[in-house]
Amino acid sequence: MSSRGAASSSGGPQLGTSDSSKRISKKPKYSRFTQQELPACKPILTPGWVIATFIAVGIVFIPIGLASLFASQRVVEIVHRYDEECVPPIFSGDQLAFIQSSITNKTCTKNFTVPKQMKGPVYVYYQLDNFYQNHRRYVKSRSDKQLRSKAGELDISTCKPEATTGNNSPIVPCGLIAWSLFNDTYGFSVKNKVLNVSKKNIAWKSDQEHKFGSDVYPKNFQSGGLIGGGKLNASIPLSEQEDLIVWMRTAALPTFRKLYGKIETDLEANDEITVVIQNNYNTYSFGGRKRLVLSTTSWIGGKNDFLGIAYLTVGGFCIFLAIGFLLLYVIKPRPLGDPAFLSWNRNPSGIMN
Amino acid sequence: MSIVKQDWLVRNELDPNRLACPNPKADVNQDNIQNLGVFPLLYQEGVQNVLLSWFQFLGWAFNGVLNAILIFFFCSRAMEHPAFRKGGEVAEFEILGTVMYTCIVWVVNCQIALSTNYFTLKNHCYIWGSIISWYIFLLAYGAMNPIISTTAYKVFIEACAPAPSYWLLTLFVVITSLIPYFTYRSIQLWFFPMYHQMVQWISKDGQSDDPQYCQMVRQRLLRPTTVGYTAIWRQHPNAF
Repeated sequence: MSSRGAASSSGGPQLGTSDSSKRISKKPKYSRFTQQELPACKPILTPGWVIATFIAVGIVFIPIGLASLFASQRVVEIVHRYDEECVPPIFSGDQLAFIQSSITNKTCTKNFTVPKQMKGPVYVYYQLDNFYQNHRRYVKSRSDKQLRSKAGELDISTCKPEATTGNNSPIVPCGLIAWSLFNDTYGFSVKNKVLNVSKKNIAWKSDQEHKFGSDVYPKNFQSGGLIGGGKLNASIPLSEQEDLIVWMRTAALPTFRKLYGKIETDLEANDEITVVIQNNYNTYSFGGRKRLVLSTTSWIGGKNDFLGIAYLTVGGFCIFLAIGFLLLYVIKPRPLGDPAFLSWNRNPSGIMN
Repeated sequence: MSIVKQDWLVRNELDPNRLACPNPKADVNQDNIQNLGVFPLLYQEGVQNVLLSWFQFLGWAFNGVLNAILIFFFCSRAMEHPAFRKGGEVAEFEILGTVMYTCIVWVVNCQIALSTNYFTLKNHCYIWGSIISWYIFLLAYGAMNPIISTTAYKVFIEACAPAPSYWLLTLFVVITSLIPYFTYRSIQLWFFPMYHQMVQWISKDGQSDDPQYCQMVRQRLLRPTTVGYTAIWRQHPNAF
């Protein structure tokens, strides 16, 4: 259906041949796209579809919610706050002095009971509250190039103020994130038998293999006047310093947990666990809180009822909406497309008022 | 609209020789053209600016804000402290960011799908293609050298994809974000349909073959205006 060059059919006097060859029709080139003739489906939200959709959503969501909630309820979790209890009573008025001093004894022993059987591996986490690892300047204060390989050792521009020592030699690893490394330790025993906490494979594989080099060793770390956290063993390469790797993955929210280790054995119900905590980390100067968490996992993860409850709520709400629409349809039936029900047409005399 | 154009409309409307209905042999894909021939008042929807009113605009803005709030808080709350996977791993900011952005991509595309009346093949390609290309992007960008991809390195393939809670959370947030708009649209279509929606409904039901029904719909939908040919008609009912 070519239209270019065709003479217009709507009349007009015939012109001379010299003009007709120049006359170009303005009729647009035909295509299915420009004439809106593309094959299409035109779904309409009829009441049947609406009710069916809500029922389908409800039928899908409620079982998922039940399964998630069930999995989450099966997880056994022990949470124990220890930052207040692990300060000796003499120092309860001046916790900051206690934690910053290098001569005070930071060892603290706590006992708790296992409420239900915990099948291994039992994951040990430390939870920090009111600690803003998501602060913009904090998140930027690291050098990925330096962490990756020895060749990037001098790439420290983003790490200020923790970039160089007093005599301008670079700190490895530099930056505030590494400087504030968490350094509390936990030792577990049950019935006087020491529980082995495995510290292997607690970090993401991609981090260990590709982001933290095996030829990078800590240098000049925590050597300044202000100590922000733990020290690092200078003879172990960064790719094996799993605590550092876990810590360097900054958390999104001010309350977060990080994996400390795994206990591979099972813990039986009513076991008395004794944990020896080295309370080294300073959260007292900014009102932070520290907690020790032991938790099993299920296919959905840790103990988080949110997903299960949310699915159940939305599923139930959709069923409720479906019933509501169904009742509306039954009680107030309305022939589709009947304009008689439109509000301005209720008046029988129409527009001639 | 000028008088000349109105004249054409009036002639199409009321000329008994042209009062009819579409050629039953015509291709069903010509719906729009047919409908315009039968219901030329469809043009008035554009003239009277019923499709882009302030109410519509504020409604969409409100819907956007509501979606943003739902996505942010549901994702944060669901991936809060405990592990999100069987291996005991906790969600850091990279993972939370990936989950949220996945939800955004899904919600936006599904909103477009919900508000589309006329699904051509291109619509399908672009809507579902957008979603698929987001996952392809995650895979491709995540596979690049960590110097380039920094925090996104392998975030999808290693952390998110094997986690059932990631997929369940995406499904939940998408459906929940769409429910308000879906409900609004159902109610609007059912009880307060706009003219073009009614016409679409009628032609779907096959009633557009009924000339009397078409005439009834057209007559009843004439609204009194101060400009346009209904005003002229009221002034001079005998002029036509």
